[in-house]
Amino acid sequence: MATTVTTPPTRPRTLVVASAFGTGSVVMYFGCLFALYFSIRHDAMAWGSQWYPEGAIQLVPGGMNMSTMAMSAITMGWAVHAVLNDDRVHATIAMALTAVLGIAMVNQTVFYFKDIGLSIDASEAATLLFTIVGSHMVMVAVGVLWLGLLLLRALGGQDTSRHRDLVSAAALYWYASVAVYSVIWIGIYIAK
Amino acid sequence: MTTTDNAAASDSAPTALEDAVTTTDPVVLGRVWGFGGMASVLLAAFAGFLVGVERLDLASAGVFDGADGLFQFWSAYRVAFVLLGVLPALMALATTVVPRQCGGSLVFPRAAALACWTWVVGAGMTIVGFLVDGGLGTPGGGGERQATALTLMGLLLVICGLLLASVCVMTTIVSGRAAGTGLRDLPFTAWTTLVGATVWTGMLPVLAANAVLAYVDLRGRPAVRFGAEDAIWAQLSWMFTHPAIYVLALPVLGIALDLVSSTTRTAQANRDVLLVATAAFGFLSFGAFAQTFFDTPGTPIAEEAISVVAAFAIVPVTLAIVGGLADTLRRGAANLGPKPPAEAVCSILAALLVLAATVVGAVRVIAPLELLDTSVTGAHFALLLGAVILGLGAGFHHWGEDLVGPEGRRPGMFLLGGLAVAGGTALVGAADLVSGLMDQADFTGVDLATAGNPDSAVDGLNLVSMIGSFALLAGLALWILNGSLHTAANRKVAA
Repeated sequence: MATTVTTPPTRPRTLVVASAFGTGSVVMYFGCLFALYFSIRHDAMAWGSQWYPEGAIQLVPGGMNMSTMAMSAITMGWAVHAVLNDDRVHATIAMALTAVLGIAMVNQTVFYFKDIGLSIDASEAATLLFTIVGSHMVMVAVGVLWLGLLLLRALGGQDTSRHRDLVSAAALYWYASVAVYSVIWIGIYIAK
Repeated sequence: MTTTDNAAASDSAPTALEDAVTTTDPVVLGRVWGFGGMASVLLAAFAGFLVGVERLDLASAGVFDGADGLFQFWSAYRVAFVLLGVLPALMALATTVVPRQCGGSLVFPRAAALACWTWVVGAGMTIVGFLVDGGLGTPGGGGERQATALTLMGLLLVICGLLLASVCVMTTIVSGRAAGTGLRDLPFTAWTTLVGATVWTGMLPVLAANAVLAYVDLRGRPAVRFGAEDAIWAQLSWMFTHPAIYVLALPVLGIALDLVSSTTRTAQANRDVLLVATAAFGFLSFGAFAQTFFDTPGTPIAEEAISVVAAFAIVPVTLAIVGGLADTLRRGAANLGPKPPAEAVCSILAALLVLAATVVGAVRVIAPLELLDTSVTGAHFALLLGAVILGLGAGFHHWGEDLVGPEGRRPGMFLLGGLAVAGGTALVGAADLVSGLMDQADFTGVDLATAGNPDSAVDGLNLVSMIGSFALLAGLALWILNGSLHTAANRKVAA
């Protein structure tokens, strides 16, 4: 007598959908800060005011962070690809590498905050700079924590379709953090 | 070792408080959102009443010790209504009723619980911040900086809680609904909640960014600009005016459409038109761009085409939704019987008040009248928020059995409270509208110059407005009593 095995209906990628909504919120947060930054900067420039003191913003730290984030986007993509192909070893290595690159980025930002020749209350530009870059640092730190939890799950042997969705959800958030940083890099570090 | 196991089990039996705090049951969370939200609405109405009493004499301070004290209560009234009252109360229905309408259950219940308690802690911090002379800054800079920072931190927690809950609700609707149920098949409460939650998930992070910027600038050193005492409210005030506040009315319109359809046992004739109209209502209520504090030289944002067109365009859209409601009512009138249900009456009144608010909102932006800084803005806020509270009450009464239980419903008491809320809202809205046309300022301060040197006839209108505030307060108190009796009756039966 054949037995029928019923499986519960799977939800269509609930985690990824939730991550998309959450990431959208974070992007709106940065959208507001960027809009204020560029609007106030435009007004200051139009009045002929100095936005940052000469030499206050160095290109190298921003460039280093951008290259770190770009590399982390590649390793995150590697993790997603590996998880989709049930390659646990590569997935674990890729997620660990991404987390390490994230930690490196946070470390570099903290170093730059201590090294920068600009106090947070020097001007509107400085307050905005510290708020935007500091918020992004928090965003990356949250991403690192998320990856840390995924690594714990992976090392604990949980390799289910839910885990795949978790990696995709984390990847969506991580790509957004890279995209946000690219706006910081171009709009703040390069355009000054 | 059975004895040891039993002892351990009895030691770890959760207390009622532990049970409440650790539960992930959406119904329990809905009760926390609902009672917390409506209690905050009551507090906000009380603050509004005190401000109304103060306005009886525009030339001096009577209730408060000065303009700064009045400003703190005036801003608390708006913040408490929107972020501590109405949005959480909407979340009560969104976490309990909406998942059932979608044929599923709330996804991420633990995240929903985290969101709920984050909001509770944030709301507590915000209220304490206002009470200890903080709030969102003062025009005279007489507030306590530490308390202002506490208020901002509380607001950030409130926003985080609301955002997380919104993500849970939206994910439930988008990917947690029953197989075969399309978005077009959703009941209007679920649909408008999805549209509304999408819009406030876009706006609340922007408010959070403003609050973070103010907090960073406020702490520890003289503020550069964003954290200055007299600048904080100006940066955050866009959330409490046109067009952002319209989004609060959207789920209420959905509730009205569902309640009328349910009580008349008649489906809407032009369902797709109503779906599009409600989506357009949500689109027009996106207000994160309207930040007057950051106006650049040239036309102020409140007078830019985008603001003015949104204010006018929302009137026909609301008219289309109310028209759909009236059409359903007309076709199903025979099924209503001699005594229409109290919740249907309240929800129809709520929809009509929303329509009135949109008309006042359109009048407010007519440039030659110069009404943007007058009490027409207050009338607009009062009408819309009154409508939202009325519609929310109707929703709570209709789905009260799901939230609290079947025993102890008192439709007569509910209707009495609803009529007081509707009447009070109409009185406040009408009186403040006329006062605004007579040049009374939105924030009147404690001297005639700050009040805009209005015509002396506004004294009578301010008395009418104060009476309206009292009626609103009384209606809300009656509702809270009704809800408490309803809950107690069901607890008694359960015990």
